[in-house]
Amino acid sequence: MVEKQILKEVLDVAMVRGGDFADIFIEEKKIVGIGCEAGRIEKVHSGVDVGAGLRVISGHSTAYAYTNDLSRTGLLEAAKIVSHASTGDKKEVNMDFTKVKPMVDFEFMEHPGEVPTDRKVEVVEAADKAARSLDKNKIKQVLVGYGDVVQKVAIANTVGDYVEDERVRTRLMVHAVAALDATIQTGYEAVGSLCGFELFKNYSPEQVGEAAARRALDMLEAKPAPAGKMPVVMASEAGGTMVHEACGHGLEADLVQKELSVYAGKKGQLVASEEVSVFDDATIDTRYGSYRFDDEGVPARRVNLIENGVLTDFMYDRLTAAKEDRKSNGHGRRESYQHKPIPRMGNTCIAPGRTDPDKIIRETKNGLLVKKMGGGQVNTTTGDFVFDVAEGYLISDGEIGPMVRGATLTGNGPEVLRIVEMVGSDLGFTIGTCGKDGQGVPVSDAQPTMAIKQLIVGGTTHGEPNGKIRRI
Amino acid sequence: MDKEEVFLGSAERAVNNARQMGAESAEAYLSSTKELSIEVREGQVETMKLAEESGLGLRVFREGRTGFSFSTDLSPEGLEEAARQALANCGKASEDPYNALPSPGASYPELDINDVGIREAAVEDKIDMARNMEESARAYDPRIKIIESSSYQDGDVLVAVVNSLGMRLVYRGAYCGIYLALVAVDGNDSQTGFALDFGLKYNQLKPDQVGRMAAQRAVRMLGAAPLTTRKASVILEPYVATGFLGLIGPALTGEAVQKGRSLFAGKIGSRVASDIVTIIDDGALPGGIASAPFDGEGVPTSRTGLIEQGILKGYLYNTYTAKKDGVKSTGNGVRSSFKGTPEVGVTNYYIEAGTKPVEELINEVKSGLYITDVMGMHTANPISGDFSIGVAGLLIENGELTKPVRGMAMGGNIIELMEKVDAVGNDLQFFGSKGSPTIRVAEMTLSGT
Repeated sequence: MVEKQILKEVLDVAMVRGGDFADIFIEEKKIVGIGCEAGRIEKVHSGVDVGAGLRVISGHSTAYAYTNDLSRTGLLEAAKIVSHASTGDKKEVNMDFTKVKPMVDFEFMEHPGEVPTDRKVEVVEAADKAARSLDKNKIKQVLVGYGDVVQKVAIANTVGDYVEDERVRTRLMVHAVAALDATIQTGYEAVGSLCGFELFKNYSPEQVGEAAARRALDMLEAKPAPAGKMPVVMASEAGGTMVHEACGHGLEADLVQKELSVYAGKKGQLVASEEVSVFDDATIDTRYGSYRFDDEGVPARRVNLIENGVLTDFMYDRLTAAKEDRKSNGHGRRESYQHKPIPRMGNTCIAPGRTDPDKIIRETKNGLLVKKMGGGQVNTTTGDFVFDVAEGYLISDGEIGPMVRGATLTGNGPEVLRIVEMVGSDLGFTIGTCGKDGQGVPVSDAQPTMAIKQLIVGGTTHGEPNGKIRRI
Repeated sequence: MDKEEVFLGSAERAVNNARQMGAESAEAYLSSTKELSIEVREGQVETMKLAEESGLGLRVFREGRTGFSFSTDLSPEGLEEAARQALANCGKASEDPYNALPSPGASYPELDINDVGIREAAVEDKIDMARNMEESARAYDPRIKIIESSSYQDGDVLVAVVNSLGMRLVYRGAYCGIYLALVAVDGNDSQTGFALDFGLKYNQLKPDQVGRMAAQRAVRMLGAAPLTTRKASVILEPYVATGFLGLIGPALTGEAVQKGRSLFAGKIGSRVASDIVTIIDDGALPGGIASAPFDGEGVPTSRTGLIEQGILKGYLYNTYTAKKDGVKSTGNGVRSSFKGTPEVGVTNYYIEAGTKPVEELINEVKSGLYITDVMGMHTANPISGDFSIGVAGLLIENGELTKPVRGMAMGGNIIELMEKVDAVGNDLQFFGSKGSPTIRVAEMTLSGT
């Protein structure tokens, strides 16, 4: 995207007043977004965002600048800005720009740039129609969003690496609203992958639409969730929101080094039940959080974080790795050229165990079965988390009972991982956009069916099962 | 030629391109932002970031359809390509009789939103501000052990809106702010605290106060433990009350009402909150960080009373949703950046201050929870208003704050909560563009051990 000779010149200027390391991240991002609401194609958007981010690290300080202007003059201007902020001695630089080899390769079958907009509109219409036709009376509103992103990047740095990469992501989400009398409930379903338009060979738009509408309709019949402490079974379909929130963030090296993580200083220690192993692997084929290289040009690989309950590693970017005199393990990601890279997750998973998932439910006397999770939030310092249950059922005597709504799970990450009693042999994924320090990156997370001894369930039923909670 | 004129020129060119390629009407929104952010840890600059970004968002209209494209390429070729893209997208969208652009407004508010003090202050002074915050936090209590982030930030923005109905507008604005997040540690217990101060005037930022506030928030939570499940009166700190206010923002837009996803639909003139609750949106609020003379499509900003003394008075509108309801736009066509279209959104959005001092609000409670932090507010259901969130705070016993509490869940419905508000403090405080005073709610369900 920019000639190597110019990159060299720019990095030279960036380091002219000293520094340990400098890199440049050049990006061209083309997006298409289609939105459908009330059965009408409301929005067809497209755009291109081009820019470069330049960074100089000296000691523990980072100087960062970005610009939309990719001309030689524009880039040199940004280089001058970062050079002013850097101090100290200049480390040896290497500007060989050797191409880095990835550990995995992804192939994009149907490049979104070559798929006519009409076909994308058809996908949206099909999902909308499927959701509506499930129950023409009760389904009041359907929102469908389609998006594809083609991101081309070039990364060069003063340790001599050069990486060019293309990331293609496609997603479809459906949000359905169902109403009966005065009760309104919603259902959500989303699919997305590191892939092109072939996404819809694996997931039909109709299935996605129906799943969202089905969830909204079922919720109309659901009872308010009970409140209090109880055993919780997380089905694999629930995906890994819990592992992402409850322990993933605490395993990011920047939070660990700032002692903002409950896992700081615990490497080699037992931090979870021996049933639990956790890894992050961005090389899994076509998952939403997959990538060939991270945003610092480091090849992605599988990183084992917790093995049989013992904390083994953290997720590092170059800066946090350098602080510990080790190498990055490929977790330096950024939202765009406008952001400096920080340690982030890719595809975070709790490894499957050996227990039959059905057996886990049978052996749970009474409790809550979580089939679909909503959003969540974690305080990495204390490990306290809360997340929303999008689809939950009561379990009584080992049998799945009625659906409940309005439940949230409140707990403490490290504590929960210690009280995991059974781990199933299955594995289910969910996708999302993870936010940290104001940067959103695509991620996925996964877990097997798991039995947790007890969690605090926040519901609206307290003492009086038919309480006076008013529903709008 | 100054930058304003260059920008207006590019915007006009983009509109003309679109018209020549067959658009019946067109609108170009150009913005250029310059941002500086400084993060300090232990007296040292950890990150210094300088950012510059410009771009164009182009809307075109033809045969009742509309299309949009954006680009960071403002060269003549880039502007032409953007027009081509927008027109191609337009062809795929559904027809809609309410698609329209606004005409120029009769008058625009005059606002003091461009403090040159922000631009003129030396970078070294800005770094010192972040350092002072850190120092005053550490001086507050020796248990403040970790500074997560002590940062200063400012921005300078230039916005131009030109449309084919004769609109030709431009403004410049600037903002600045400081933010501190830290951790207090005592033995095995760590608790987080934060505080922030964002505004339009450089010399009004108060780093010492922000430092002390963040430290106090963390220290007072040391030793927190869950309570038993109970029903109790709760007091929401301004930050927490602002979170709830944010939750109902989308439901107060004309868009949500028209699309059947607002819990306020069909309730104009009805009681939706206790009679001491008044909620305002004001895009021209003096000193408001979201204040600007016009919104993302060039409509003059204004003050809109949404809920007055508990009665729902109206909704927020952009040009499209206003036309659909046969009313005037309230100047709430908000753009996230040039990469987005003007959607109905809040500007400076707040609960009006009451008359009671906070101490009185607390003293009147026999047994309750003073909530200082919530988790998972974004998981609340904005359509039904149902929420169930994690809460932490301080126990109130006989009118006194006694011990810290964490790991509780609070469930309910937002309308129910607003109806049960029985006191509003006199301490309106803004967190960015949203704000609230301290609010007391008669009774809520708290789940714990």
